[in-house]
Amino acid sequence: MENPTVDKVPTAGCPFHGLEALPADGTLLHPSPALAELRSSARATPLKYTGDHVGWFVTDYELAKRVLEDSRLGIHSERVPASSGESTNAELDDDVVASLLDADAIESLAVSNVLNLNSPQHEKMRRAMTGRFMVKAVRGREPAIREIVQRQLQRLQGHDRPVDITTEYALPISAHVHCLALGVPDGLIDSYVRIYNDEPEAADQTDFVRAVQEQFDLVRTVLEEKRRDLSGDALSDLLRAGLTDRETEGAAWILMSVGRDNVARMISTMTVALLENPEQLAILRDDPTLVPGAVEEIVRYGSPFVGLFVRTAIEDADIDDLHIDAGQSVTVSAVAANRDPKRFEHPDDFDVTRDAFGHLGFGFGAHSCVGQQLARVEIRLAIEALILGIPSLRLVSAAQLEPMPFAHPVGMHDTGSVVVEW
Amino acid sequence: MRIEVDHDACVGAGQCALVAGEVFDQDDEGFVVVLDDTPPTGSHQAARRAASLCPARAIRVRE
Ligand code: HEM
Repeated sequence: MENPTVDKVPTAGCPFHGLEALPADGTLLHPSPALAELRSSARATPLKYTGDHVGWFVTDYELAKRVLEDSRLGIHSERVPASSGESTNAELDDDVVASLLDADAIESLAVSNVLNLNSPQHEKMRRAMTGRFMVKAVRGREPAIREIVQRQLQRLQGHDRPVDITTEYALPISAHVHCLALGVPDGLIDSYVRIYNDEPEAADQTDFVRAVQEQFDLVRTVLEEKRRDLSGDALSDLLRAGLTDRETEGAAWILMSVGRDNVARMISTMTVALLENPEQLAILRDDPTLVPGAVEEIVRYGSPFVGLFVRTAIEDADIDDLHIDAGQSVTVSAVAANRDPKRFEHPDDFDVTRDAFGHLGFGFGAHSCVGQQLARVEIRLAIEALILGIPSLRLVSAAQLEPMPFAHPVGMHDTGSVVVEW
Repeated sequence: MRIEVDHDACVGAGQCALVAGEVFDQDDEGFVVVLDDTPPTGSHQAARRAASLCPARAIRVRE
């Protein structure tokens, strides 16, 4: 198999041959053509980051896995790929954070934001989070998830048409299922939905940090109630795990904040993919037992992560033919890796019958997605109910069919509205 | 076939329990438990698949 070598890091004085910013001209279902070009010319390409840093952008599937599992690389959230000027979320300024977020919340984030932690604190926090997301725990939740989905389907069916699947179906389902798995008390679910789903666009840093403070206020109220009534859910587990107050609060914040948006993204995107590929939709309607495989395929094909979270080398690291200097950053492209023809045949075909397992849509290595088993079940039940419950569903318009500004500066595609009619 | 797992490497993603539930389970924290470390021939394929999909490469299959 051909292994194009990687270019050497450009040194001072040399003209820069690499990416000035992540390619932003793609969409969820039709990634930027630049990704395929980069992948066919080299396994990794120099990429500019904020602060004039030059790191790497990995597009090759095998190299992507090697990078994601390498313990010489830690997550470095302060550095993000240089922006093409279109991202909605700028890098956070420490002074803004310090003035708007209370000191406990700042410390809670520092000790427990798993996505930002490295070993051994990472393992400790992760272990406290994973129990209720395991395969059998999630299977046990299926009847309750089905109920949430059915309720939302009925609301959708009674809604004026055309109607936006993202706001009227995907987001409510993912928020309610998230509350179920975490054990957010019934009386606080409406607050959760308001704070997370009706989140105003974080137009600037001030709005963004204010929203985080509001989330922390909710986390504290939720934990206070949970403490009085521990049960079989993820937040109760955190409270039983013998963590410090700051660790518990931070872990609860991360669990409440992450994942829900990605589940909604995948439900919306899968709806678009199926309505744009009617022959694939027909296959699933004929044989709904194929839906789980189709979910795997959409997480491969419709992954929003043009770049995963930024990794930075703690020491010099040679990974295959890629040399990373200590302090240098690497962005792994899940989108490019998931469409690497060396791993997936006809990678640009959306094929619900393929074996898509092995994709990097849930990441790989120590930080691979905690909530992936829950996500699989949620997306499956939501899509099954939608395509079987509304046989004449058709697409009116979808914002994501045109390039949109990234939802996150690491390079995450946004979903936008998905307007349907029947 | 003999299955070995590296408990320290496991990250509790649950891929093994999903694709080879007859060979792997998860403990209360979601971390790997081997149900059968010498699985019958009918489960070999699934066990190999679990090893190849493990995001922490914590599963070793000795043939
Ligand atoms: C389809 C839905 C989802 C997708 C596509 C997704 C994707 C991902 C990806 C790609 C990562 C790794 C990021 C990286 O390595 O840079 C990740 C991490 C994570 N995900 Fe998900 N996720 C989804 C749903 C969920 C859900 C429902 C939860 C539940 C709480 C969740 C919780 C987490 C957590 C806590 C991490 C950080 C793990 C760590 O750093 O150790 N995700 N997810």
